[in-house]
Amino acid sequence: MKTALRDYLRERGVSRGGAPATIAGGASFAYVFGAVLMWLLVIEAVTGLALAAFYAPSATDAWASVAYLQDQAVLGWFLRGLHFHAASATVIVAGLHLVQTALHGAYKKPRELVWWLGILLMVLILAWAVTGYVLRWDQAGYWANKVEVGIAAATPVVGGAIRKLAIGGNDYGNLTLTRFYTLHILLLPAIVGAVTAGHVMLARKLGATPLGDRERTARPRWPDQTLRNAIAVAMMMTVLIVYVVAMHGVELAAPADPSQAYDARPLWYFRWLFELRDLAGRAEKLVALAMPAIVLGALIALPLVDRAPTRELKRRLPYLGGLAGLLALIGGLTLASFIGDARDRDLAKRNTLAEQRAQLARKLARDNGVPVTGASDVFFTSPMARARAVFAARCKSCHDAESMDRKGPVIGPGHGNRSWIMAFVRNPSGDQFWGHSKLVKTDAAMKSFDQMPAADLESVVELIYGESGASDIDEAKRKHGSEVFEIGCSDCHARDEGVAGASAPGLFGLGTREYYLSFISNPRSALHMGRDKSEMPRFDKELSVSDRDALAEYLVWLRTATPADAAALDPVD
Amino acid sequence: MADEDRRRFLKVATCAIGGGVGLAVAGPFVTLIVAPAGKVTVTAPTDPLDLGAAEQFRVGAEPRKVDVVAPMVKDAWIAARNVVLGAAWIRRTAPDKIVALSAICPHLGCSIGWDASAGNFLCPCHDSRFSPEGDKLNGPSERGMDELPVEVRDGRLQLTWVRYKTGQTAREPA
Repeated sequence: MKTALRDYLRERGVSRGGAPATIAGGASFAYVFGAVLMWLLVIEAVTGLALAAFYAPSATDAWASVAYLQDQAVLGWFLRGLHFHAASATVIVAGLHLVQTALHGAYKKPRELVWWLGILLMVLILAWAVTGYVLRWDQAGYWANKVEVGIAAATPVVGGAIRKLAIGGNDYGNLTLTRFYTLHILLLPAIVGAVTAGHVMLARKLGATPLGDRERTARPRWPDQTLRNAIAVAMMMTVLIVYVVAMHGVELAAPADPSQAYDARPLWYFRWLFELRDLAGRAEKLVALAMPAIVLGALIALPLVDRAPTRELKRRLPYLGGLAGLLALIGGLTLASFIGDARDRDLAKRNTLAEQRAQLARKLARDNGVPVTGASDVFFTSPMARARAVFAARCKSCHDAESMDRKGPVIGPGHGNRSWIMAFVRNPSGDQFWGHSKLVKTDAAMKSFDQMPAADLESVVELIYGESGASDIDEAKRKHGSEVFEIGCSDCHARDEGVAGASAPGLFGLGTREYYLSFISNPRSALHMGRDKSEMPRFDKELSVSDRDALAEYLVWLRTATPADAAALDPVD
Repeated sequence: MADEDRRRFLKVATCAIGGGVGLAVAGPFVTLIVAPAGKVTVTAPTDPLDLGAAEQFRVGAEPRKVDVVAPMVKDAWIAARNVVLGAAWIRRTAPDKIVALSAICPHLGCSIGWDASAGNFLCPCHDSRFSPEGDKLNGPSERGMDELPVEVRDGRLQLTWVRYKTGQTAREPA
């Protein structure tokens, strides 16, 4: 059966048949790097396929689709993490492969082409990573890409054209994503695949460089070498999977937001360039372009300058020393960059804030979905988020219990409910109410009704509370309250629609959304506080009608809210 | 012979390790790709949806097509507002009775229109015809038009949106 199939395939040209592939000098763990790299490419292809099945390359949807993959799709975090960290592993293993090749002198004639194709692959893999990092369209990927494209744009003469071509026009947007997406999942895989095929085919044809003075007896590749490859792959995979699980995939920052500053850092394998730019100061753009060219030039030149046939270590020390120097420089700069960041306390604080924003965005995306208007708007999906953000920006300093500059009544949970009204009527000049206002120091301030009989007080509170339209009204009390109001309150206040009191605010609809909208729009109107009694500015010019209405809705919500309800709301951005 | 045994062992070990490593990636891959098939990835509202004032529909008038709009639909990562789910043909058959027929053709899901000259419903895709009551007249459709539950609450017509399987005689929710 097995033979029949083998014959069938061989006769139809599928397999060559004949002698099995051999390896000069026998199997060795020294030869596993190529196999590990091939396996990493397979992982990138498989996990990339899975990611592509969930990813939407559009400026409004990209972050949301990645957040969905990371936080909601079953095992999405695992495949995403594997894809990301396997790319890092590829860079590490490729680096080891390069160092080993240099040590063995395997770049020498006739293997120069294999070496150069390998260098080309290294560059392509780094470019591959750059095109992938931006796709998540979070703060980290977005800003890192802006810096990278900015460096490319500093190229003399053609820089501007490169930038426009890369991002697809004048600014970052949908075309930026579709372009980098196309590069990442179609063009670069095709190019890397072709170059890898050339690299491997040539390397196989020329055979492994013999190790030391080992006898060059050819031994079959399968299974001796294959087992060593499998063991190396399994070891690498164990480390990789443990790391992916420990990190729960890979981080996802808050949605890309051009208005929000972010401490952009490149992927770790570009950290040395990042540090170098920092050190170079004003020459940063020159250095960022020149240094990679120098490193690349040195690697390409190696087989050309070290042409002696000897592969003995001692006799190649100047070349290897130069290479080691470059690698040490890269390693040292990388380390310096990470250490510098670790020591920066301000950076740590900013990173903590950024992380909190990221977690909030992801929680809201999970709970509420992302609005079609774009991922940044996910922050507005928490209840009354717009109103609370406006409140924090425009109202808090005068109305928040914690504020040092408070000028008006405290506004918080329970604002305008029965006990709030009761407390107000009993002592309008109390600390919680007009206590911090200028009004309190004038004769115009409402006097305390603490001396009123409790039953009357309760009834008038019920009456005023009833203006809010609340459904839980005690009608008997309200009726009695309207009698009390006529005697005790109507000299100053009025209760009819559109009517101001003789010397105090009209109370019609107090506590309704319409009332709050009107009050916020112009507290100094005769209907409300009157021109001279309010320090509160009018907001009808300052805030849009939808913002004012949102605030009004929020105030209505506060009436029935407890501090626990307020604390349970997601924080606003 | 010892070498044969050794080689066999190496082959088995290689396949075992390779298989294990492959499974570590293939398992999660298949899980991730298959999982959405068993989930509600696009939510449909189960609550009745408002179609406007009930009094606009009068006895004796021609059926009126009304868009059925969901206030909110979650589609995987997106939450969209005011999403048109489809349309319904509304007719008041008696002062106290309003009938709603889904505009989705039970044949293959095209959108059914009203043929005013013939006084009956016509699906433009394959010429299925239905009576004003939604009964099947002629054409390839296996069943009559699908009636949707409606009720009048506080003077507003409320419709519960249901999407039925097409291309079969039995009326089953999709």
